[in-house]
Parts: sequence; C-alpha cells; structure tokens
Amino acid sequence: MTCKVQLTVTRCGVFFFAVAVLWPTTLWTFSRAAIGTKIENVEMPTLDGGRHHLLGNAMANVFVFFKPGQEYSDITMKKMALCEKETADKSVHWVGIVSNRIPPAEVESAVKEAGITMPVLIDVDDALYGSLGVKLHPVVGITDQEHNLVNYQHFTKVNFSEVLLARIRHLLKEIDDQKLDKVLHPVVATTGGNGTKARIRLMLAKKFYKTGKYEIALTHLTTCLDDDPKLVAAHTLRGQILAAQGNYSEALEAFQIALELDPDNASAKEEIKACQERIPER
Amino acid sequence: MKESKINANFHGIILSIVFLLAGGLYSCAAPPEENDRTKPASNPVDMQSKAPNTEHGTIFEKSKPEKTEPEPRKKYTQAPLTMATPFIHAAYEADLEDCSLCHENADPRNPGRIPGTSIDLCLECHEEFEEEINRKFKHVSVDKVTCINCHNPHNSENPYLLHESLPDLCLNCHADIEKVTKQAKVKHDAITTEKKCVNCHNPHSSNVEHLLNQLPFDLCIGCHNKDGLKDQQGIEITNFEALLDENPEQHAPVAVKDCSACHTPHGSDNFRLLVTEYPAKFYSGYDPKNYALCFECHDEEIIAEPRTTIHTQFRDADRNLHYLHVNKPTRGRTCRACHEVHAAKQAHIIREAVPYGKRRWMLKLNYTRTETGGSCEKTCHSKRDYDFTRSEPIIWNKLPTSKSTKEGP
Repeated sequence: MTCKVQLTVTRCGVFFFAVAVLWPTTLWTFSRAAIGTKIENVEMPTLDGGRHHLLGNAMANVFVFFKPGQEYSDITMKKMALCEKETADKSVHWVGIVSNRIPPAEVESAVKEAGITMPVLIDVDDALYGSLGVKLHPVVGITDQEHNLVNYQHFTKVNFSEVLLARIRHLLKEIDDQKLDKVLHPVVATTGGNGTKARIRLMLAKKFYKTGKYEIALTHLTTCLDDDPKLVAAHTLRGQILAAQGNYSEALEAFQIALELDPDNASAKEEIKACQERIPER
Repeated sequence: MKESKINANFHGIILSIVFLLAGGLYSCAAPPEENDRTKPASNPVDMQSKAPNTEHGTIFEKSKPEKTEPEPRKKYTQAPLTMATPFIHAAYEADLEDCSLCHENADPRNPGRIPGTSIDLCLECHEEFEEEINRKFKHVSVDKVTCINCHNPHNSENPYLLHESLPDLCLNCHADIEKVTKQAKVKHDAITTEKKCVNCHNPHSSNVEHLLNQLPFDLCIGCHNKDGLKDQQGIEITNFEALLDENPEQHAPVAVKDCSACHTPHGSDNFRLLVTEYPAKFYSGYDPKNYALCFECHDEEIIAEPRTTIHTQFRDADRNLHYLHVNKPTRGRTCRACHEVHAAKQAHIIREAVPYGKRRWMLKLNYTRTETGGSCEKTCHSKRDYDFTRSEPIIWNKLPTSKSTKEGP
C-alpha cells in the first residue's frame, strides 16, 4: 500500500516536473527582454521608404524578425501571411522586421513570395536586434495594448500558426486559458474516439429496427449487451423491438432493467405503463 | 467460428475509420464483372461529385486539407471481395440478401447508390467519429472523398477493412514519402515497425499539423525513452527521457517540442536523420554549408563575423569567440565541442564534458558563467575568461604562454 502511494506520488512528481521542465516557455524569450518587459515603441524606416512604429494601439501587437532566404523564415512568413488574413478584422497590429544587412531586393522578393501585407521595418545596424537580444530566426514577439511583452514564439515546424493565433486570440480575450492550453498541449489524437463496440452495435440495431428487421436487430443488441450490460439505450431499444413483435412481457422486463439502471428514464416509465396495459391479466 | 469472425471484425471496426456501404457501384454479392450495374460509377471520386452537400460536407469545406491532394496511383474497388476474407463489415454480413440498410435497393445484384455521402452513412453507426471529424486538420481522404478511399465497406483481407495493409495503402497516394523512405541512407525504424505510419500519424484527423498523433516531441519520446535503442550502425541512441530529466537547460526546438525542426522522421541522407548537413565530428574546417542545420535558425554572423556586439554574448569586448573557435580553415571546433545538442545542466546548453577521440574520453570544459561573461579552463587551454562589457578584448595569444596553454584537443 505504502509502495503504491509512493509510486503514485513519484509519478505525480515526475509528471509535474516534466510539465515544468518541458514547457519553460518563459525561459525562451528575447535574451534582453523578458516576458512582461515594456517594449519601446521605436519608429523605424520601412521597406517601401516610409517610417512606421514597431507597435500600434491595437489590443495585440505582433512583430516578427525574419531573414529572407533562410528556409524556416520563408516558411514562417507564409504562415504569418495566413495568420494576418485570419485576424484582418481584429485589433491586431502586425509588422515584420529585417536587418539592413539583407539587400532590399531580396526582402521585397521574400515579402512577395510570402504574401504578407504587414509593413516591413528595416533594422538599421541591427539596433533592435541588439536591444532585444534577438538570436534566432524567425521569432515572433507579442505585446498587449500597453506594449508589455506577453509572448515570445520562435519557429516550430508543427502547429506554428495554431499556437500564434491562439495566443493572439487569448490576448484579444476571444479564448480563455483552458482553450489556449488545449492548443499549446493538444491531447493525443486517438482513433475511434471514445466509442465502444456496444455503441456501434446499438446504432446498427437501431438501423435494423427502423427497417423492420427485428430479429437481426435483436441479435446485434444481444452482442451489444454482452459487451456493455449497463447500456440503458440498448435495454430500451430491446424493449421497443420486443413490444413491436408483440412480446410485451419480455419487453416489460427490458424496460424495467432500463429503469433500474436509470431511475429518471421517463421514456422507460411510459413504455412500462404501455406494456402493462397490454399484458393480459393472469 | 462465425462468432469469432464477427468479433475479429468488430475489433477492426472499433478502431478504424468510419466506413460503410459506399455508393451503389457494384453488387453486394457478385464480383464486379458479373454485376448488373444499372447506375455504375467508376470510382469514389465520381460518386462524391454527384453526391449532394451535407452538413458534414460543409464542415469539411471549412478547413483546408494539409496540402495539395496527392493522387492515388491505383484505385481500389469498393465492391465486396469474392474471396473468403477474415474481416467482414457487420452491416454487410448481417443480411447478405438485403443491401437496403445502406443502399437504395435491397437487391444484391442491383443495390443502387447510397443516399447522401458515404461519410454521413458511416456516421449513422460510427458516431464515435463525430469528435474526430471536428478536429482542425483532416486527412484529405476524409476531407474530400470520404471513408471508402481507404476502407472497403464490405469486407477485406486487412484489419479495419483497409484496402491494403500499411504502409502500402498510405504510399499509394504519398509517393513523395515512399521515395524518401526507400532511398534515404538513414532510415527510421518507426516507419517499418509495429503500426508503421500510424505509429505517428492519425489517418483521419488531428489537432496537430501533418495529422500527427501528438506534438513531435511527445511522439518521439514515446519510443526514445529507453536505454538500448540502437541505430543502423549499432550505436546506442540516447534515452531522451533520462537526458531531459537530468538536464533542465534545453535547446529551443526541444523546449517547444519540435524535434522535426532538426530531424526528418521519414528518412534522411544525413547523420541522425538530420534535415540538412551538420558535421558529425569534433573538428571541421569552417564552411557555412556544413552548418546549414544550425543556420536554419541561428544567424551565420555568429560565426562569420570576427567582431560583433550584437550577434552573441560569447565575446570578449567585441571579439567574437564563436568566430575564434569555429571559423578556422581546418581544425575548427564544431558546435558540439562546447554545446549539447538537446539539453544540458548549464545555461546556453554548454556541456560539462565532451567526448574526444576514438576512445571517447570525456574531457571537462570547466565552464563558469558570470553576469557579464564566463570562463573555461584546463581541458583545451588554461583558464581564459571573457567579458562582453570590456572595452578592449584580452588577446591571449600575445600573453606569455606556458605548457598548459598549448591548444588542444
């Protein structure tokens, strides 16, 4: 007993440790701007020759550092274009940031290829890279309306857009913590859901019942109830089929089992009453 | 005997995709060539195109398939197989003389079509798939053409009434994956063992891209969590569960559960299934091409520029110490000389020791981190510290040397 408790405690410990260790999202951030840092809203030159602020007055401000020609940056920018479209009618301010080390023609080509419409800011002499401590490409920062850094996300090949959009929606208060958590930690995609053999047999029996093939339906219900004797719907259906065959006494038994398993089963109560009315008094 | 057959069939059904009697293409009882097909349709694609839009059809249209639909090379029959098969669909077997449970006609020689789309019909019994079809990412076959692309709705030689066993069924459409799995120099056992493709992918749908059952790391750790796994050369593969338990500082792709950022799971021509090149040895002459893997995320300037105040804090004043260590024409130290690839106890995933030489001696790095830099000592050189806040770097080579300062390994 003690051993079991210890094992459980150990497992819980391992689980929480694993969760803590494997998702140190706050540890992975800009090396010079931790989550919660107020980001300076600098004005920067843009690719098209104008000037634009890093952040806006939107509820969510998203800025992405990318490097044209780098495969993962190119992949990410295509995904960003889709994210941008998905949030087009929302309070989201998007900008891309590239170093002025990259030739403008190369950036223009990458922007066109990706299909982004957000302004692309030119980081002269990597000043913003340096002030935030950007070490990787591509990386995305998200701030709230007050320009506090609320999230940092670097490249992933899998579920990048899913996670980014969920974080934006969370910031926009469109989804709650629980829904965000579901995206960050998706459950195992099982096959066959939570269905049971009994449920499938029940559904098949229902189909046969509807087509008037009572004997076949009953055969499937027998298999169904062998698998799950407490399946109320199966007992109820069995009662209905037996009643349809005129076998009211057996139907009554079936309905009574259904009622025992589910005392609030109004349908079973009515069926019992109907059966009792039809069973001749002995 | 019959009962056991039914049980076997149901075992298949419970885990398999929603399938059911397809459009009335063929007779229920006779082989296709003997059928009297009054309303023939040559393949499921035809069927789908003629089927009305349904609620499920609408749901599917909302989400895009993962990528361009691959074309199947062979088309499978949806008709009942005439040979004795170990797997029979219960709905078909229940009444071989009456097909009307699913088809518009009862006559096995002329069953006619099915009403609506096959997926709606399948869901009438296989309600357990309702949750699956509402996941974000759907398999093209589910999304576009429905269950009968992969499942024979009547009977089959394969579990789950699959037209073919895995991986052949999957590779019938995914020719690109077939090419990789067959031609890659480095192969991944996950593809050829146990459930094969389904080891990692959900054939119907998932909330993870590429129809993965879980995020990549969670999938990988499912197998790479034990001692004794070996690669094709017989070299033991790391037990990552143990490694990560003991080493809290993780490389970013590991921390965000994305092993696929560096490894390609279907096969690769590169060492350790790496997506691109990376030097496997301790020493390597510097060539950016060799570090293509690292430069997918890291800036080449980390190593290419002798002086920087931006790209790294492993610098003494502005003297880039990554450049100093790595960027050499012959005996440059590769990243792994100082960094663990997956996880370490120290910040910046700096190793405690590095295996060196054929005997894989573990040489201590003796790295110490400070607020503004750090130091290493003894193994490769005598104690040398660095400080990125200094105004001028210390040029160690100009200092008086002793025996212990000789470069090595």
